[in-house]
Amino acid sequence: MELNIYAYKCKRCGELHYPYKTICKKCGENDHNEFDIVPLPKKGKLLTFTTLYTLPSDYEVVTLALGIVELEDGNRITGQLDIKNPKIGMKVNGKVEVVRKDLYKKHLGMIFYKA
Amino acid sequence: MREVYVAGIGITSFSRLEYPLVEIAAYPGLMALRDSGLKKVDHLYVANMGGGRINGQTGLASAVVDHMSLTPAGAETIENGPASGASAIKQGYMAIASGMHDVVMVIGAERMREANPLEATDFVATLTHPQAEYIYGVTLPALAGMFTRLYMEKYGVTARHLAMVAVKNHKNAMDNFFAHLHEDITIEGILDSPEASTNNPYVADPLRFYDVCPVSDGGACLILATAEVMKKINKPMIRLAGIGQATDTHCVHERKDPTELLAVREAARQSFKMAGVKPSDVSVAELHDAFTILEIAESEEVGFFKKGEGHLALERGETQIGGKIPINPSGGLKAKGHPVGATGVGQAHEIVLQLRGEAGKRQVKNAKVGFTCNFGGFGNNVVCLTFIKE
Repeated sequence: MELNIYAYKCKRCGELHYPYKTICKKCGENDHNEFDIVPLPKKGKLLTFTTLYTLPSDYEVVTLALGIVELEDGNRITGQLDIKNPKIGMKVNGKVEVVRKDLYKKHLGMIFYKA
Repeated sequence: MREVYVAGIGITSFSRLEYPLVEIAAYPGLMALRDSGLKKVDHLYVANMGGGRINGQTGLASAVVDHMSLTPAGAETIENGPASGASAIKQGYMAIASGMHDVVMVIGAERMREANPLEATDFVATLTHPQAEYIYGVTLPALAGMFTRLYMEKYGVTARHLAMVAVKNHKNAMDNFFAHLHEDITIEGILDSPEASTNNPYVADPLRFYDVCPVSDGGACLILATAEVMKKINKPMIRLAGIGQATDTHCVHERKDPTELLAVREAARQSFKMAGVKPSDVSVAELHDAFTILEIAESEEVGFFKKGEGHLALERGETQIGGKIPINPSGGLKAKGHPVGATGVGQAHEIVLQLRGEAGKRQVKNAKVGFTCNFGGFGNNVVCLTFIKE
């Protein structure tokens, strides 16, 4: 089964939200059941990125590359990067994988690779 | 609404403090009481972000009010991330302006260095979106790094500009006894020399060690009072004239243009409007330079310079003491230090010193209007204050 990250589409106006909000940011629809769950696309271009050298306690690596990606449908997502020399504007493909392990849980999220 | 004035101020060193959080809050309160000559307050607000998580101390205000023997005065703890300090001052203002209280003590206090650096970074990172940012390992330096890269790309800001902010603020802090870092750094040492990459390694590329504020303990206090109380205590009339607050999306990736800090723009606009002044009237400002890029970006968003021109004004020396609009004469978060919950009160403390003319070697001449920008999260909750000397 292919894993996805989901966005929330307002049933009234069609506005996409990622992450989830209780009230639609565009039309103010406030019945929280009135959202359709739609998978975010995985292709996009890199908007900006950083390599982090001081990591939070759950990581056992020395550096961590993070970026914001503008997806095909115009939505944006923050994710990890597995790319050697990232450049602003480059095309990337995402995969949903483990991005953080703490004592209790493995957290899934999007990791981007060079397209 | 009634006018609100600053009756007394107090501060601790911003550094590593080896005494309990309650005392870090109480000492600046004590200094402010002495400064004002007042013995009692009607209400106490304590701004703090990490007491519960880092120091195992919840209900901080209740502990502080008793520690200072100010009971039965009302007391509340205010948590609004790194903007807790200015938020607490806002609460103090509203309590007096509304007629509910006549004298209010506002304290900001934080003891972050009780935790190890990993825990401290992780604690601040809990400000980010839990599912969409935090789980990826996103920290505040990571958001600032991504922001800086975009800013460099769009406006031509360079590593040299960032280093200039650090050098300026470190220089200012040399004259501030209470600052965390008394290190007179140079551009050569952190950027140009062969040793620079060792002295100044990357933290969140393109941000380096000297682009990031230290993790500090510290406390600061302002006592706010009505005009009537001020008549009795013979202190300079520094009026808290304007307050603005605005919010922005929790996730940075949701912002239409992530190089814009809309909450800063809106909070500053409200604050100036309420005070009846323009950005060009400001004689001295304390901006929230948790990262050097933020001093440049905020100086544009609050209206001192046009968008994309803050780094040019910095090059011309306009933000130095003696320049057109001195920014962070205290050393800023960069060198004075950043005890998160206390920072907003610390900024206001510096502005009151400057407006009173008591800032010593770092005094800005003829300071009449002072401004602070206290920046919560990565710009998702911002409080701006304007003070006027009467």
